[in-house]
Amino acid sequence: MASNLSDKTFLVVDDFADMRSVMRSLLRSLEVTRIDLAANGNEAISRMEKKHYDVVLCDYNLGPGKDGQQVLEEARHRQLLGLDSIFIMVTAESAREMVMAAVEYTPDSYLTKPFTAELLQTRLEKLFEKKAHLTEVNRAMLAKNYSAAIDELNLLISETPKNLSELLKLKAEICITAGHYDEALAIYQKILDEREVTWARLGLGKVFFHKKQYTEAERIFRELINVDRNLLEAYDWLAKTQMALERFQEAEKTLDAAIKISPRGLKRQCALGEIALANGNTERAEVAFNKAVNLAKHSVLNHPSLMAGLAKSLTANGKHDLALEIANKIERDFPHHEQTGFYQATALAIVKNNLGDKQGAEKALKAAEQALKDAGGAVSPTMSLEMVKAYAALGDHQKATALLESAVANNHDDENFLASVKQVCQSAGFTAESEAVLKEIQQEVVRTNNKGVRLIQMGQYDAAIALLRKAAEDMPANKTINLNAAKALIMKMEQHGPTEAELQQVRVYIDRVQRAAPDDWRLAEVSASLQRLAHRI
Amino acid sequence: MDFPDMLAASIHDIKNSLSLISSNLTAMLAHPDNRFAEPQQISLIQHEVQRVNNTLIQLLNLYKLGKDALRFEILEHNVEEFFAEVVANSTPVCRALGIHLTYCCDPDLNGYFDSEMVRSILENTIGNAQRYARSQILLRADRQADYLVLYVEDDGDGFPPELLQLSQDVEGSISASRISGRTRLGLLFAQKIARLHQAGQRSGYIRLHNACTLPGGCFQLWLP
Repeated sequence: MASNLSDKTFLVVDDFADMRSVMRSLLRSLEVTRIDLAANGNEAISRMEKKHYDVVLCDYNLGPGKDGQQVLEEARHRQLLGLDSIFIMVTAESAREMVMAAVEYTPDSYLTKPFTAELLQTRLEKLFEKKAHLTEVNRAMLAKNYSAAIDELNLLISETPKNLSELLKLKAEICITAGHYDEALAIYQKILDEREVTWARLGLGKVFFHKKQYTEAERIFRELINVDRNLLEAYDWLAKTQMALERFQEAEKTLDAAIKISPRGLKRQCALGEIALANGNTERAEVAFNKAVNLAKHSVLNHPSLMAGLAKSLTANGKHDLALEIANKIERDFPHHEQTGFYQATALAIVKNNLGDKQGAEKALKAAEQALKDAGGAVSPTMSLEMVKAYAALGDHQKATALLESAVANNHDDENFLASVKQVCQSAGFTAESEAVLKEIQQEVVRTNNKGVRLIQMGQYDAAIALLRKAAEDMPANKTINLNAAKALIMKMEQHGPTEAELQQVRVYIDRVQRAAPDDWRLAEVSASLQRLAHRI
Repeated sequence: MDFPDMLAASIHDIKNSLSLISSNLTAMLAHPDNRFAEPQQISLIQHEVQRVNNTLIQLLNLYKLGKDALRFEILEHNVEEFFAEVVANSTPVCRALGIHLTYCCDPDLNGYFDSEMVRSILENTIGNAQRYARSQILLRADRQADYLVLYVEDDGDGFPPELLQLSQDVEGSISASRISGRTRLGLLFAQKIARLHQAGQRSGYIRLHNACTLPGGCFQLWLP
């Protein structure tokens, strides 16, 4: 059979020796000669570490150890697959179960067994063509240069290709990532004006969520679930919306309903565990964290916080000894993870406190404080919240509120975080007064930031710089403030020429954001401006 | 664990076995040292393997549909690209049976449907047509009054009269008719999946005709 696949390298992953040879002879009939075989997930990963493959054909079901999805996750997460590589998931029944697990990473394509060499060839040719078509977009996305990706997409869209709706979907998703909500809204609306399409309706709901129009978002997600009760993504977004609306018990029920339909989603099990624990529904939290720990066992996305969550749920259910055992195991299971010490310490503090070991609890709490200090700029809002919960559990409301205040000041525009803060305040029994203080802090930051942005827009750069510089010193981990401080300096230098001192100051701000949120979409643009200015000196 | 769950759990093994049978047969046929007194027999086995596979998928999906657990996803697809894949997957068996399987449609024709389900319907219909076609099976598509219509035609003797009468109340008459089990299952599946395709007030359906562009049977899937 003639094909242009003969120069490509292939990796076949299947736990069943006979199936591996079936796949090999199928590939040979397509004149493929460079074929490697792997019998399990770990073998597949170590092959990908050593060699670049054009195509990976991976069975979903790989027996004990990693499954196909976890192989894909690890390969993508560790960037073992090139931009031009194709990952095909081979499944026994249908791709649906995996889609339902709400996975972070999706393969380029699914193939259902048995399939013919002819089908594989047709599919691969189409996929290579598609990859080549999107090369520039993918390159820009990898560099997190979203405006370049959108420009490339606009170019492709202007040629009105056959896969127009696919490109529009991609563009709208990038627009959301880059914070261009109105542009995304327009794309979804235009598609929906012509026809009811699920992904566009879901996208519209996400836009409303990001625009904080929670009531509209909730209505859309509910309608989607009414039409298709198996649309799990809508449950996830409905739960997020309910959290933002401070209806924590409802959010928990929504996630629980989704998990009854598909228990395989790791992220969803974690979210349910966290929410249920904060809601005081500790039995459900224990079940969810137990499942999460099991699901994550062979996953690159495994994290010490899962076992910490399980330990906290167990101790909340009175199973202190088992909780202690789990908390102590965190170090053994995550010997190299940078957050091991912190999560183990917070869990141990709570468990030991419940066991009546006040001294041990205090010691663990000190260790957690030290770990948080050592993490420096890399403290995520999630870690701050974890610390707050530990303080609250040990009755140190003063430290808890102090930390919350600084965390809120540093993350004043992170809606998911603010929703969790409110939930924690309620479950930890903080007074309405301290909640009001937090709200005031948050609004004060919003006001300062808005004022700074307005000054930039009016061209009053020195005033903007003075204001934002002070704010950035007060809130060194606040991404938005630091970015806007950098922007004010950049705008000034673009008009009046760069100075070495100001360039250095911009570098400090960018550095802070990079440490707090290396994935922040706004970084690429500011860094590019910085480089342009540096060249002018 | 009830019976359908056991069936679902066994699917992985069954599919592996079917893949092994099917690809070993292909390899046996392709190997120059092999001589078969009746090569036709191997083609027939291949044909049956594919039909077992199709029936299995349909049974499982009907079961899920009954439990309201079928994940259904309507997306826009280019029909020609879709046909190319369907034909690619059925070509080896058709070739072995001496049947010419082709498709023809406007390359710019796009439509909204669940590709996995519609693929299953078409592959099953091709599987049926393979038994009756003399030498040709043709996939065709066009747009008729706001519907995307997919056709599977053959050059055999056409559908028997009792099948042609199904047209109106398809589901009721399929259940009441005395058509053989597998054909009945296939039609029932096609009708149920067609009806899940909805746009506004319109929903999909199937039609059976004879002598459209080829002299034999013509299965039609109307999708809004």
